[in-house]
Amino acid sequence: MSYLVMECRRSYAVLLDQEGRFVKAANLRYEVGQTVLDPVLLEEPAPKLKLLHWIGGGAAGLAALAAALVFAVILPLYHQAVDVYSSIYLTINPQVQMDLNHAGDVVELTGTNGDGVLLLEGYDYTGKDRLTVADELVDRAIDMGFLEDGGTVNFSIDTPEESLFQEYGMELRDEVTHHLEGRVAVEVQVVHYSQEEVETMAQATPAATPTPTPAPTPAPTATPAPTASPTPTPAPTATPAPQAAYQDTDYGPGSDGVTDYAPPAQTQPQAPSGDSGYDGGSNYGGDSNYGGDSGYDD
Amino acid sequence: MNEEHGILEQVYAAKESVQAADQLIGDYLPFIRAETAKFLKRPPEEGRDDELSIAMIAFHEAIGGYAKHRGSFLKYASMLIRSRLIDYARKERRHRQTVSLDAPAAGEESASLGETLPEERDHPEESAHRQATRQEIEELSRQMESFGVSLSDVADNCPKQQRTLQACRKALAYARENSWLLEELVQGKKLPLAKLSDGSGVERKTLERHRKYLVALLLIYTNGYEIIRGHLAQVMEGGEAQ
Repeated sequence: MSYLVMECRRSYAVLLDQEGRFVKAANLRYEVGQTVLDPVLLEEPAPKLKLLHWIGGGAAGLAALAAALVFAVILPLYHQAVDVYSSIYLTINPQVQMDLNHAGDVVELTGTNGDGVLLLEGYDYTGKDRLTVADELVDRAIDMGFLEDGGTVNFSIDTPEESLFQEYGMELRDEVTHHLEGRVAVEVQVVHYSQEEVETMAQATPAATPTPTPAPTPAPTATPAPTASPTPTPAPTATPAPQAAYQDTDYGPGSDGVTDYAPPAQTQPQAPSGDSGYDGGSNYGGDSNYGGDSGYDD
Repeated sequence: MNEEHGILEQVYAAKESVQAADQLIGDYLPFIRAETAKFLKRPPEEGRDDELSIAMIAFHEAIGGYAKHRGSFLKYASMLIRSRLIDYARKERRHRQTVSLDAPAAGEESASLGETLPEERDHPEESAHRQATRQEIEELSRQMESFGVSLSDVADNCPKQQRTLQACRKALAYARENSWLLEELVQGKKLPLAKLSDGSGVERKTLERHRKYLVALLLIYTNGYEIIRGHLAQVMEGGEAQ
């Protein structure tokens, strides 16, 4: 899409795209009348719901009107609470689709490839916010051997609002990077959703077999099973490498009821890789901006 | 504390007025420069470093997106500037493998790659076209001023949702089919909202909400703006009035 430069100001330029949208963009030394191809557009802030303010004002003296408003407001709010508005695809090798409502709460969690289904086995997301879910899924991926040093955590965000992409992308990148800091050195990617790319990423590694793996039997039992057939049971066939890592898992069918989980060994903090974008000027030090003044909403 | 309170007053004024936003950015240009310098690890040069322009647009975003519950405005602005600069650096890295036209050409002393390439464009013609485009845009701005509308206002008032954009296109299509509406707009210096709404079937409330945008769009489809209309190749697609 090409953009016609309509107005140039010191701090921004007004551009007209070919579909008739007037947009503000960074003024990268543009001139009026010039046609540009790849501008840096101004991102709009996400609209915020001011429901409490409205209800507070309306309930003061107009009880009847307030009652009518409740019916007019509750139904749309109910839909806003349960309808899927945005989706975040978390791809490590397991791929998980996290559906969010208008307010950004997690309303559905689905494994979109075999490993993704295994990653979610036994996981309960109810009552957890999207950042907690992202952190916990990454932790499970580490425990199950899907994620290690040099790995990639990709968030493909599908949302109708660019500002929500910006908001979710920033907070997920910051949260997961901060969460893994000093434990595992991984690259956190945030990209716009593309069905083709997400499907390609889901198939990038051999998908784990969706059929449940037999529970590992530590030793052959002496008591024969009542329905045992005279032919010996064939030994379980070798499974691909990722699956082998969770044969002894605490999650799902492989669980033996005794946790094998141990806190991960403390590793030396790793220097950021060259292309991470987080270099010497990082805000994750003593002068962090990610404290009580963070601009992020829940 | 008082300083923060002063900034907040300026920020809320800047949300409502383009001039106040320009003033605020001018006042806080040293802050924007400092944030850019932290990222570049050297002082930025205005007119040379795109990063400073990116930081300025991020400051604009901070003005638009700020609310009191976000805490200190300057910390919020600093965070947005940094995020945008990181995104920009990532985007630029993807283009790194592209060879610049300013790179020295092999075997040519003091000549850039661009200078060695055969001339494909007719520069005088391109320059004349740009000049003509600029004149059209200046004329449009002048005409819009008589409606009390600036291009920056139009950018702020432009529909964000595709559905609303389609509704505005539908109103435009109706006005084009009934050119007396465009004449009425130019003569009366007023958007004929009721007639546009009745004729196009678009809700009047929708048209009212995007009045400034519609003024600009309809003016472009009056006489004299052929180059801008040529750029808007896709506007009329799917916007036919019913």
